[in-house]
Amino acid sequence: MSFEYHEPTSLAEAVDLGTRFGDDGRFLAGGTDLIIQMHRGKLRPGHVMSLHRVPGLDVIDANGAVRVGALVTHRALERFVGFQGRLRALVEGAEVVGGHQVRNVGTIGGNIVNASPAADVVPALLTLDASVTCLGPDGERTLPLEGFLVGPGRTARRPDELLTGVRFAGLAPHSATAFLKAGRRRAMEISVVCVAARLTLDAGGERCLEARLALGAVGPRTLRAHEAEGFLEHRTLTTETLREAGRLAAACCQPISDVRASARYRQLLVATLVPRVLARCVARVRELVS
Amino acid sequence: MSQLALILTINGERHEILTEPHRTLLDVLRTDLGLTGTKENCLEAECGVCTVLLDGEAVNACILLAAQCPGRDVLTIEGLACDGELHPLQRAFIDHGAVQCGYCIPGMILSAHAYLEAHPSPTDAGVRAALAGNLCRCTGYQKIAEAVLAVARDRAARE
Repeated sequence: MSFEYHEPTSLAEAVDLGTRFGDDGRFLAGGTDLIIQMHRGKLRPGHVMSLHRVPGLDVIDANGAVRVGALVTHRALERFVGFQGRLRALVEGAEVVGGHQVRNVGTIGGNIVNASPAADVVPALLTLDASVTCLGPDGERTLPLEGFLVGPGRTARRPDELLTGVRFAGLAPHSATAFLKAGRRRAMEISVVCVAARLTLDAGGERCLEARLALGAVGPRTLRAHEAEGFLEHRTLTTETLREAGRLAAACCQPISDVRASARYRQLLVATLVPRVLARCVARVRELVS
Repeated sequence: MSQLALILTINGERHEILTEPHRTLLDVLRTDLGLTGTKENCLEAECGVCTVLLDGEAVNACILLAAQCPGRDVLTIEGLACDGELHPLQRAFIDHGAVQCGYCIPGMILSAHAYLEAHPSPTDAGVRAALAGNLCRCTGYQKIAEAVLAVARDRAARE
């Protein structure tokens, strides 16, 4: 592994370097994926551009709409006071990534660009209808996260573009999020399946006005379970409706069999975890309203 | 191949080093500075034997470029004892029989140190979660967790 190392000190300088090196360059955020891929010889960039001296990328701004800078670490997400309540799915996703050593360094921007179908924070972001901002030589583009994720390790980011952050609207009243993960052990585990949900209920807390459901590690990219969402909306949420949403979600995913689990087992997990994560959302809405 | 001139602060001491950009903090600690208390094993941030503290937070030195570290405080296991006195965590690991082969211990102690600084009143579950990124293949977790909790109890008793 050999490369030239660059430390841009502004966004403009970072974008200039990205444009100059194109496919031969890589932006370095936390490096918890990039350095490992380089050690393995899977990536051999000629130029590595560290973003640590670029100011402003490690900020969470939650006044109104929420903006999370690309260099915000998983640990910073876990600790952010504004995410401890109804946005808790972000904390629940962040706190199961690797060990604390990785969470102290690994960033949300890196997690998104790495585009692992098993990424743990991405499902929560999908349920929040999040968008990513990319800065390139032609200026800034804002893309819905759902369309940004293309396949394993592949995104709509152009090689000369820098992902600067992710943003989403604040939650409507009577809304909450939740996240659940299944692995073979409780820590240091790549998800066998992970699920996140956001529900907006009516003032009585019974009927669903809006539903979002996202599934990780059951397809080439993190998926939205659109059919299950449509089924939940405008329905009274009973044990049976939550179960039916689980069945619909399991039917819409296309998991593979690998060393961690069989495709069939993953589908069963989706059918089990979806009703649980929805029930958690409902409980969270009611608890935080009362 | 280009060389980078880096100024690193390690265990409170300033080091000027000249290194290639691909070299990790672990390479520099062990090979250039002879600080072999930080161990080397999986090189993929799975096992935690290379754990050091960067500005007080635990990190895996095996996947951190040395070039990412100037201007930050690095603490390794060599920097924990003070004036020839073992750190209370080191003493507790010995007293509780928490050390078997010893390979994971420097990383365990540094992870525990970062955790106790942030959580003066820890729980058993909290200690175990904080040490999840440090694997012990001698399966000594029980005594390790006991040692960490004992340090917190001793500190609370003294205050």
